[in-house]
Amino acid sequence: MGAGRKNRTRLLAHLPMAGLAGLFVFPFYWLFISAFKDMGQIFKLPPEFLPNPWVLGNFVRVFQETHIVRAFVNSVVIAGGHVALALFLCSLAGYAFAKFPRAPGRDKLFAFVLATMMIPGAVLLIPIFVVLCKLQAVNTYWAMIVPGAASAFGIFWMRQYASENVHNDLLDAARIDGCSEFQIYWRVVLPILKPALAALGIVLVIGIWNNLMWAFIVLRTESMYTLPLVIYLLHGEHRTPFELIMAGSVVATLPLIVAFLVFQKNFIEGITAGSIKG
Amino acid sequence: MRQGFCQRVWGHRHFYAFISPFFILFGIFGLYPLIFSFYLSFTQWDGLTEMTWVGLANFRNMIHDELFLISLWNTLVIGVLYIPPMFLAAFVFALALNTSWLKLRGVFRAAFFMPCVTPMVVVAIVFSLIYSQDSGLLNYALGKVGELFPSLKIEPIPWLTSDRWFKPSVALLLVWRWTGYNMVLMLAGLQGISTEYYEAARIDGAGLFQRMWHITLPLMRPVFVFCAIMSLIGTVYMFDEVFVLTQGGLGGPGVSGINFGLYLFNTSFADFKFGYASSMAYTLAFFVFMASLLILRLRKSET
Repeated sequence: MGAGRKNRTRLLAHLPMAGLAGLFVFPFYWLFISAFKDMGQIFKLPPEFLPNPWVLGNFVRVFQETHIVRAFVNSVVIAGGHVALALFLCSLAGYAFAKFPRAPGRDKLFAFVLATMMIPGAVLLIPIFVVLCKLQAVNTYWAMIVPGAASAFGIFWMRQYASENVHNDLLDAARIDGCSEFQIYWRVVLPILKPALAALGIVLVIGIWNNLMWAFIVLRTESMYTLPLVIYLLHGEHRTPFELIMAGSVVATLPLIVAFLVFQKNFIEGITAGSIKG
Repeated sequence: MRQGFCQRVWGHRHFYAFISPFFILFGIFGLYPLIFSFYLSFTQWDGLTEMTWVGLANFRNMIHDELFLISLWNTLVIGVLYIPPMFLAAFVFALALNTSWLKLRGVFRAAFFMPCVTPMVVVAIVFSLIYSQDSGLLNYALGKVGELFPSLKIEPIPWLTSDRWFKPSVALLLVWRWTGYNMVLMLAGLQGISTEYYEAARIDGAGLFQRMWHITLPLMRPVFVFCAIMSLIGTVYMFDEVFVLTQGGLGGPGVSGINFGLYLFNTSFADFKFGYASSMAYTLAFFVFMASLLILRLRKSET
């Protein structure tokens, strides 16, 4: 029977998919179990697919012997600050571009914002570094938080969302009630923008949490290092402490993985919403 | 008239107040750097001593800078090695996830996308363990295959330390890392195609292949174009993975492991040749811009 054969083919198609999914997950598995091995076990042949024995000390040692706790705090502060600032700037300007259609020069200013999306970040690295030196902001949180926060892409996205979802009647009603313009933005508009803010926030968090290059350039002392930087520098040490690197890597990787698995739908929406429209 | 304009501006003062934080920050960290960098590309400057104007010398030097040309070549080779398989895998996965009969779609999607939220430095270090010549999992697995088929004469492969294998190794890492991202974009594109097209085609007796060729592929063109441009930019400015795998360009297989992103970084922040680095960045930005325009033309033709 045709239908039966079709079903069997479909069932069989799950096998290669499962195999490939396994291959994609495998490096995570390897990272995770390597964090529970000592140095000898990591390089042992034949490889141990389950640690024997399970070494728990790596996590204790990585907390004691490296600056990872401080780095974790730094990463959280930087990611939080960067995302909050970017969301504030983008939603405020995006809302303004969407809802003040008669402001003189609005379209030209917006076209200008769009044009700035074409600027490749690589061109800006040196001048931004020089500016930060002049502002004496090198080796501070500001050096990580501020430079990328004025995101044209974010404004574009917020404007799109605001013009579709924020209704003029609501704004007018708030004005009649005597709200100031900023109060309207803060109390009326922001709650409506929440889904878009969440999606944009996720995209920004992925970028800043994993950032290595800029952290390497602007963060100079151990007390300022972020997680990727601490891991990178451990890797560069003379006798590379792989067991600590693996434990540290789990610490650096887990927050986003867990967040992704919990908010999978928002992550996917964030990635696609921002790109297909752009 | 003049009075009227000023009044209109004043009447919209909140608009200008709301967009000004962005424009102030953009002025400091976008526009000024853009102009400053352009100026720098005609100078020689290490950031400390006096800046000297050298005209077009930086651009002329580039053509004779062997390392610059090698880094471009390496970047190109890596791109050619990883982008096609990544596109193919992403599209096949997206097609599979777009079917109604596939079970556990959420699990598969999560598995393929998870690499995209992982810090690149972690990815690179885990892969360097797997690639390790003496004790890596990959050579261990190859060794097992070699035991089964002694006639193949399989030797341990120096994945990250030889000219020949470094770029394919990086390419494999990149396929792993970026397939999920492209898959998610392509899946969104597929889900945006109205089922009416397919039903109409089925009524007309179009087979699976014809539906793919005449409906899916043409309608997916904008998504493919977007993915292609993102891949182009990502490849040219790729940094973290090569930086980690070659330990800043000092380890790995020597010059054959240096890509443009790494060379630009080293020229800027290891050698402090700010002028020369700026001219390289501008040159590449120009080529990326032109290539993007070329790719964008594909979006328009035929649709």
